[in-house]
Amino acid sequence: MDLDISSFQPVFKSKSKAALDVFSSLVFPNRKQEKWKYAKLKKIKKIPFHNQHSFLLNDFDHLSLPINSGTTIVIENGKFNAKLSSISLVDGIQLIPFSDLNDLQIESLNGYKKSYNNYFSYLNQTCLEEGFFINVLDNVKVEDVINIVNISTVENILANTRLNISVGKNSSLEIKQYFIGEKDAKNSFINHLSEFYVAENGNLQIDKFQNFEENFNICSEFIKQQKSSFFTINTYSNSGQFIRNDIGVEVEGEYCHTELNGVFSPSENQYIDQHTTIDHLVANCNSFENYKGVIRSNGIGVFNGKVIVHEDAQKIEAFQQNNNVLIDDNATIYSKPELEIYADDVKCSHGSTTGQFDDEALFYLRSRGLGRIKATEMLTIGFINEVIEKASGEHYKSFLLKNLLNQ
Amino acid sequence: MSNTILEIKDLKCQIEDQEILKGLNLEVKSGEVHAIMGPNGSGKSTLSSVLAGKDDYEITRGSISFLNEDIEDLSPEERSWKGMFLAFQYPIEIPGVSNINFLRTALNERNKSLGLDPISAKDFLKMVADKSALVGLNNKLKNRSVNEGFSGGEKKRNEIFQMAMLDPKLAILDETDSGLDIDALKIVARGVNQLKSKENATIVITHYQRLLDYIVPDFVHVLYDGKIVKSGDKSLALELEEKGYDWIKMDLTV
Repeated sequence: MDLDISSFQPVFKSKSKAALDVFSSLVFPNRKQEKWKYAKLKKIKKIPFHNQHSFLLNDFDHLSLPINSGTTIVIENGKFNAKLSSISLVDGIQLIPFSDLNDLQIESLNGYKKSYNNYFSYLNQTCLEEGFFINVLDNVKVEDVINIVNISTVENILANTRLNISVGKNSSLEIKQYFIGEKDAKNSFINHLSEFYVAENGNLQIDKFQNFEENFNICSEFIKQQKSSFFTINTYSNSGQFIRNDIGVEVEGEYCHTELNGVFSPSENQYIDQHTTIDHLVANCNSFENYKGVIRSNGIGVFNGKVIVHEDAQKIEAFQQNNNVLIDDNATIYSKPELEIYADDVKCSHGSTTGQFDDEALFYLRSRGLGRIKATEMLTIGFINEVIEKASGEHYKSFLLKNLLNQ
Repeated sequence: MSNTILEIKDLKCQIEDQEILKGLNLEVKSGEVHAIMGPNGSGKSTLSSVLAGKDDYEITRGSISFLNEDIEDLSPEERSWKGMFLAFQYPIEIPGVSNINFLRTALNERNKSLGLDPISAKDFLKMVADKSALVGLNNKLKNRSVNEGFSGGEKKRNEIFQMAMLDPKLAILDETDSGLDIDALKIVARGVNQLKSKENATIVITHYQRLLDYIVPDFVHVLYDGKIVKSGDKSLALELEEKGYDWIKMDLTV
C-alpha cells in the first residue's frame, strides 16, 4: 500500500513493533489467493492514503440515522468526536478508550491475535491510534441500544478503528454499528477490526449497517462464544466502491446459538464481499446463516461462508443459505457455501441460489398499476424482508428498507 | 347512454412465431357483461394477457381500442391506470409484501400518474373496510403477505377485493371459477355483481357454464382456434354445456 507507516502513532506501543514485523513480511493480497480471488484491490493498493484526521461534521442529521436517544459514540476519521457523541451508561457497563488502558489490560485484549488472518487485521494492529473497549460486567442486562457511528469525511484518509466488547456471564447487550463513508470523502478507507467475547449465558446482538458510496471499508471481526451463549450479527451492506467483511466465530462452549445474517446490494461499479467462518469446536451447538444478495447494474457480490464442525463436536445443527437476485443483466455474484465436517452425528445443510425476478410476478404487479421500478422494489422487499426482520426496532428496519431500495 | 369500453378489430397475435389469435373481433359497451367460452387451447388466456399488456405476445394485425384509445403501445401499468383490471387465473404469491401495503402502493402509483395526491391513511383504511366486506375477506388475510399461503378460494377472493379497491372500467376475469367450490364461487360472483354498474363492463373468460349461473352475461361468445366463431345470449352457454365443444367444431366443419 502507498502509506507512510511512521506517520501513525500506535496506541499499542509495546505491541505494534511485533505487529509491524509481521506486517512488513506480508504481501498485499492478490487475486491468486483463494480468499481474495474476486477482489478488486488495485485501487486500494495505489491510492496514496494519509492519516491527517480532522473533524468536519457539525452534526450528522443529513444521514437520517434511526437513533433516538441513549448512548451514541461517534468516530470521525478514526478519532473519537466527543462533541457529536452522547454517553449515558447504566451501572455495570464500562466504556474505555484504549488510550486509558494499561499494558496488562491491553495484553488481555489481544487474545484474538492468533486468529488474525489477513493483511488488513495486521495493518490495523500496526497503525491503530484509538479504539474502544465496552465491558459489560456479569449479570447486567443492558436495556438501551448502544450506537456506534464510524464515519469518514476526508478524502483519501485511512482510518483504522477498533471495537472490543466483552459481555459478562448472564449479561446481554445490543449494539448498532453504522459504518459510513461520506459522499464527498472519495476514496477514504475505514479499516475496522472487532473483537467480541460472549461469556457463559451471555447474549450479544450486533446490527451493522454499511454505506460507503465511493469509499472503501474492510471489517475483520473475531468472535468467541462461551457455554450457553447467544451471538447474532446482522450485516446490511448497502453500497461501497469496495466492502469486505470477514467474520470469524469460534464457538468454544457447548449449547451456544450463533446467527449470521446479511443483505448486500452492490450497484454500479461497486464490490461487496461477505466472508464468514463458523468454527464449531465443541458439541451441542447450533448456527444459522442467511445472506441475501441484491445485485444491480454491473455490481459484483461475493459470498463465501464456511462452517467447520471439528472432530468430536457432535450434535451440531448448522444451516447456511445464500440467495441472490440479479436485477440487471451485467450484475455478477460469486457464491461459495462451504461445509467441513469432521464429526459423524451432526445435522448440517448449505445452499445457494441465484436468479432473476419472475416475469409472471412482475406482470402481476404491473397489471395492478405498479410501474416497473415500483414492482421490482416490491419484489425486492419480499426477497430481503426475512433478513430485515432479524434486526431489532421498527424505526431501524424502515431505515434499512429505505436505504436498501433507494439504490 | 352506453359508451364503447373496448373494441377489438381483426386482432392477430403470435408468440414465438406461433399464431394464437387469428382475427378476433369484439365490442364491449358500458353496462354489459360478456362471457367468452371455449375449449382448451382456443386462445382464451392469450386474449386476457394481450388485453392486459403482457409483452410476450406480438400483435401482427388489427387493433385494440380501450376507452377510444389504441392501447397497443401502453404498458400493463398504464392500462391499469386507465381503468383495466385482469383477475388472474393463478394469482401470484409475493412473500414479505403485505396485501395492504401492496394495494396502497398500487393506488398511490395510479394517483401519481393522474396528478393526484396520495390517498390519506384514513380514507384508505375506510376503503379497505368497505371493499373487503364485499367479498368477506377477513382481517388476517388483509395483513398477510400477498396471496402467500392463501387457499385457492382465498386467492380468488383477494383478486376481487383488489378489483373493488381499484374500481376498474373494464374487469377481465380469467377462469375465476377454476379451483373454487360452490360456496366460494357464490361469494366471488356476488362481489363481481355488486361492482357492476352502468359505467363499467365485465368480461368473464371461462371454460364452464357453471359460473354464468351466478354472473349472468348479456352476451356469450365462443372462441375457437383464435377466432370468435359464434355469439349469442346466455342461452348459448347452456346449449354449449349440453352439447359440448365438439358441437361447435362439427358445426364449423359443416
